[in-house]
Amino acid sequence: MGSRWIWRALAIPGLVWLALFFVVAFYAIVSVGLGNVTTLYEPVPHWNPLDWNVGYIWAALKSVVPGGDTWDTFLRTVIYVVVAVGLSLAIAYPVAWYAARHAGRWRGLILVLLVLPFWISYLMRMFAWTNLLADGGYATRVLHALSIDSLFQSIGLLDGNDWLGGQHIAVILALVYGYVPYLILPLFVALDRIDQRMIEAARDLGASAAGAFWRVVVPLSKVGTLAGIVLIALPMFGDYYTPDLISGSPKTAMLGNAINGYVQGGPDKSLGAALTLLLSAFLFVFMLYYLRVLRKENAA
Amino acid sequence: MNEPSKATEEGLSRRSLLRRGGALAVTAGAAAALAGCENTTTPVGADGGGGGGKGILGDPTAGGPVDSAGIPLARKDYPVVMPRIGDPVASSAKPERGGELQIYNYADYLNPEVLKAFGKQEGVSVRVTTFDTLDEAFSKLSTGRLQFDVIFSTPDQLSRLIGRHLVQPLNFELVPNLQKNVWPELHSPFYDVGPRYSVPYTVYTTGIAWRNDLLGFDPSKMDQPWDAFWSPQAEKYRGKVAILDDSREGPGMALMRRGVTNLNTEEPELLGQAGADLKDLSKRVGVKVSIADYETVPAGRVLLHQAWSGDMIAGVLSYMPKGVKPDVLSYWYQKQGGPIFNDIMTVAANAAKPVIAHRFLNYLLDNKVSYENFTGYVGYQTPLTAIDAQKLFDDGVVPKTLNQAVVTHEAYANGNAYLTLSAEGLQLWDKTWASFRNG
Repeated sequence: MGSRWIWRALAIPGLVWLALFFVVAFYAIVSVGLGNVTTLYEPVPHWNPLDWNVGYIWAALKSVVPGGDTWDTFLRTVIYVVVAVGLSLAIAYPVAWYAARHAGRWRGLILVLLVLPFWISYLMRMFAWTNLLADGGYATRVLHALSIDSLFQSIGLLDGNDWLGGQHIAVILALVYGYVPYLILPLFVALDRIDQRMIEAARDLGASAAGAFWRVVVPLSKVGTLAGIVLIALPMFGDYYTPDLISGSPKTAMLGNAINGYVQGGPDKSLGAALTLLLSAFLFVFMLYYLRVLRKENAA
Repeated sequence: MNEPSKATEEGLSRRSLLRRGGALAVTAGAAAALAGCENTTTPVGADGGGGGGKGILGDPTAGGPVDSAGIPLARKDYPVVMPRIGDPVASSAKPERGGELQIYNYADYLNPEVLKAFGKQEGVSVRVTTFDTLDEAFSKLSTGRLQFDVIFSTPDQLSRLIGRHLVQPLNFELVPNLQKNVWPELHSPFYDVGPRYSVPYTVYTTGIAWRNDLLGFDPSKMDQPWDAFWSPQAEKYRGKVAILDDSREGPGMALMRRGVTNLNTEEPELLGQAGADLKDLSKRVGVKVSIADYETVPAGRVLLHQAWSGDMIAGVLSYMPKGVKPDVLSYWYQKQGGPIFNDIMTVAANAAKPVIAHRFLNYLLDNKVSYENFTGYVGYQTPLTAIDAQKLFDDGVVPKTLNQAVVTHEAYANGNAYLTLSAEGLQLWDKTWASFRNG
């Protein structure tokens, strides 16, 4: 009886942390987004739900539908994230598969290499690219020597020859580069946990290699894959410094840039808070799907 | 001087404005009109957010409307005395000893050597905290959680800094260098008659900077140089064209391109056109938005940049890459009605070291210190009579191609400026900018 309470007490630090730094902080955003402003356009949070003013949420909602002020940005953000997550999966899955199942004695080394990017801050890694991709930068010269820039130009992926000059492709690749390590690790764990005998059994029962992969490995790694996708897609949706550093052009602004713009300057902080709430609601739908999959898996 | 009653209430709240404004608007307006030139700071007919109508002096851009703090909009032909909120430090007050002098400023906008020398002289350490934009600075300051001694800003921000009780009136006996050294036209500027709260820091123009060795055309030779950004020639330099990341400068440039001379217009149609023109710029040249012109243009990463004059001189002083001669930089600005203005220094209302802060203002207006700050690091000219910026060019420190980056008395007199707007006006400008900025 007593020991049960000890175990429960272990949850307290986490709960306090969550309450202070998430629930309270998030409620502050809610109160600003549903609040009002002074004549100096400073936000006045409405803490009492009875006083909530939906005006800013309504304005934010109107701005993210077709024809609204933020619609282009919203659409662009969704496309960037979907493409970047797809590319990340295409890169991360084979790497994780190799590391988990075929690396042999290299496994330890590969794991260390996979963790290596975490040693350097995301921002520093992005700053490095601003030099590498500048005119005359090493990466620019290599890409030119391999004619990758002209290839990209001919298929319309690169506009002009300046990688940092407001290119969609540069921002998407930067997102992939920045977040792919966060996808590889959960995938590695998921694939590592699959029992080798399951795959052998599938082969014994007549499945081809591809069939075994598709019908055994993919379903068994589904939860891990989804977790990885959630892990990288959520921060990508809120990212604003990657497009700022890699492009700096309004052409590639993401929803995070819009929120940052509203909150950092100008008289529309409440609109920024309202946009944040909308984005959270949008992402919550994905979370619900993930939780449902998780529940079904656990039930099975 | 048409001294207003001291505003002692807790802030210039909307309600108190309504109460006082209604009763006083008529008398105040009449008094001002009779006085002919003195403008009262009693909020005029403030209904919480400015409003249109002709100014008291019949100038449509001045007078009647007030900004979001309820203070009349200062214009060159409509000088405003700021309401005195709080008392300045006494002349006899002793300088505070030890500790840190806290400064809030843009990055790279003070010579570290100068700061070190001041700290040594006064026995304090000097610490600079930086902001990126004035909007950011205001929103952080207005939380009331930050504590600074000296705040750098611009005149158009002054009234809201005062309205929000963020700055304190100055005791000019502690800043004798203002009268002694500064350009006479800035001794009692129209945005702060007296002055009461501010001293000037630097003067600058906004113009066009370009790399004359890499850009295949000369914007200054065009009929309307601001059109350079929209020109077919510029389209060849996609991704290497940038404008300043500033909610006034961006739309302002689009306005000037269309020949609009009032840089403080609040006409929705004009700003709508400016917004559309800015978006067009994204399509044509994939325009970038940045305030790093002092670095990106010398480095050749941007070839055509809307720029501040001081940034180009700073570029020559500190940012030329190896092997690139400074005379590849060119600068143009619009001699009649182009943006030209000065930055200001103020003392924070909650300053812990108000006396040292005054002494710091005075120090930066010292002829020798100011010159060292200007030519040794910052690149922004200081409006001191003894400082002859032209001499920099004659001596070859700065190439002739940047000759127009010098700010003259004549230019200052003929120039235009981004000034305080009414609350609605400010929001209109910000919306225009945000809608472009978000793509």
